[in-house]
Amino acid sequence: MRLDNDRRVEKMPGREMKNNIIEVKNLKKVYKKDIRAVDGITFSIQEGEFFGFLGPNGAGKTTTIKLLVNLVKKTDGSVKLDGFEVSEQPNEIYKRIGLAMQEVGLDETATAREMMQLHGRLYHMQKQEIDDQIKKLLELVELERVADRYVVTYSGGMRRRFDLALSLLHNPRVLFLDEPTTGLDPHARRLIWNHLRALNKGGMTIFFTTHSMGEAEALCERIAIIDKGKIITEGSPKNLIKQYEVENLEEVFLKVTGHSFQESELNLNATDPYVRIRTT
Amino acid sequence: MNYFFSDWYYLSIRFIKQIWRPWLALIPALIFPIFFFWVGTQAFASVAQVPGFPTESYLLFIAPLAIFTAIFFGAGNAGIELVVDISSGYFNKLVIMPINKLAIIFGKLTEVAVQATLQGLLVLILLVLFTDARPSTGVLGIIAMFAMIVLFAMAWSNISMIFALQTKNPRLVQSLFIIVFPFLYITTGQMPRALMPEPFHTLVTLNPVTYIIEGARALMLSSWGDPAILKGFLVSIIMFIALTSVTLYSFRKILK
Repeated sequence: MRLDNDRRVEKMPGREMKNNIIEVKNLKKVYKKDIRAVDGITFSIQEGEFFGFLGPNGAGKTTTIKLLVNLVKKTDGSVKLDGFEVSEQPNEIYKRIGLAMQEVGLDETATAREMMQLHGRLYHMQKQEIDDQIKKLLELVELERVADRYVVTYSGGMRRRFDLALSLLHNPRVLFLDEPTTGLDPHARRLIWNHLRALNKGGMTIFFTTHSMGEAEALCERIAIIDKGKIITEGSPKNLIKQYEVENLEEVFLKVTGHSFQESELNLNATDPYVRIRTT
Repeated sequence: MNYFFSDWYYLSIRFIKQIWRPWLALIPALIFPIFFFWVGTQAFASVAQVPGFPTESYLLFIAPLAIFTAIFFGAGNAGIELVVDISSGYFNKLVIMPINKLAIIFGKLTEVAVQATLQGLLVLILLVLFTDARPSTGVLGIIAMFAMIVLFAMAWSNISMIFALQTKNPRLVQSLFIIVFPFLYITTGQMPRALMPEPFHTLVTLNPVTYIIEGARALMLSSWGDPAILKGFLVSIIMFIALTSVTLYSFRKILK
């Protein structure tokens, strides 16, 4: 699928293809009680790259995404997206990004078509453009026949697919996906994989978190592994497997995090539910 | 500011649709005020015969309360819907759009105004059809009464929105419904001040709802010169400005 990403967004002067579209420097997010959700991470992502962000539960993946899209305020550091400092020019950022989070937040009182029409209007798109996008995207995620049903009637897989379509409505340059295939059956997962590959092939930059090492290996050109708020390794899946002299990415993960998934979930047992929420 | 009005418009449409989705949710908000009104007029009709009662018809005396109750009951929904958006994650989707974020709050207030007007009108139509209640200040008086009551409903809806934004806790916001009752019943809605025991006088005087009901009643039974009308408008406006300011402050805080 060819995506005309530049149509609605002004290009930065002098920007060339394969420039860094995301640049993160010494990014920190510290919550109350000195909980360091993100602890000074630095990385960059090239335009058109499929970037995987992996880590155990509570490692700081979701907080990092929220920092990158300006959903939470950074404590320190810098995040630039397409040359714009995220916290200083948020509206420039919002035009350029699409986001599908772990919790598929949809308006349960609306139909899929109504939601897409509303979102199109709020992205200040023209009516014809909105209608064309709705048709194209609902076909893409195979939901065109249920477009006029209330989303509350959708299954988990349908909701995920619709959320993906919704996040693509305004042709974003960068798509942020937080565990988009969690809880999906193999068919739905494959369907989403295929969509993501097609979008990436069309030039879209994808920032992707997952718990599935197989998924990361299959989709991502480059990955970073975060643990306890710090990036502990970064590179292409192939190079990391070679570098750590192991068989697959899962073994890389276990080797660099130095503990099992269960151990890493310790902070989820915190007695204060707000601490649990903040640290995930 | 470029897109503020269009953002406000489209968000208002979304929120207004939520009024009747699901339509079953409308029933309690309409039935209960009518029920209270019916019980009140049937059980206390003879109160109008008590010496010192300001009108001959208890029904006319209680009519503004019936309209106000209908509106008051629906005003808390704004906060409930907002906290549902926050807890489901949909609020995050709205926040990362290139919109004027104030349009979210103004959209909610518009929803409250539309819902309040529709509910109030329905009760007014029932009153006119089935009783001899006729506002003494005419059509303009009805418009003024609705302006006063709807403005107060918008002000009141801010309380649930403030709690939604500050706590993000659906159960807490839902439980706020209960505070409607003391504010609704410690007023002169059902009984004139003169017939109340002394300790109630202070509470009734401190309750802002008293001034709205007395203002609406003045438009219903009295004339434009009645000072209760001005007092009612002043309380509505002050409450609206004060509570909307706190909502906007809480909203800005959540965006940071």
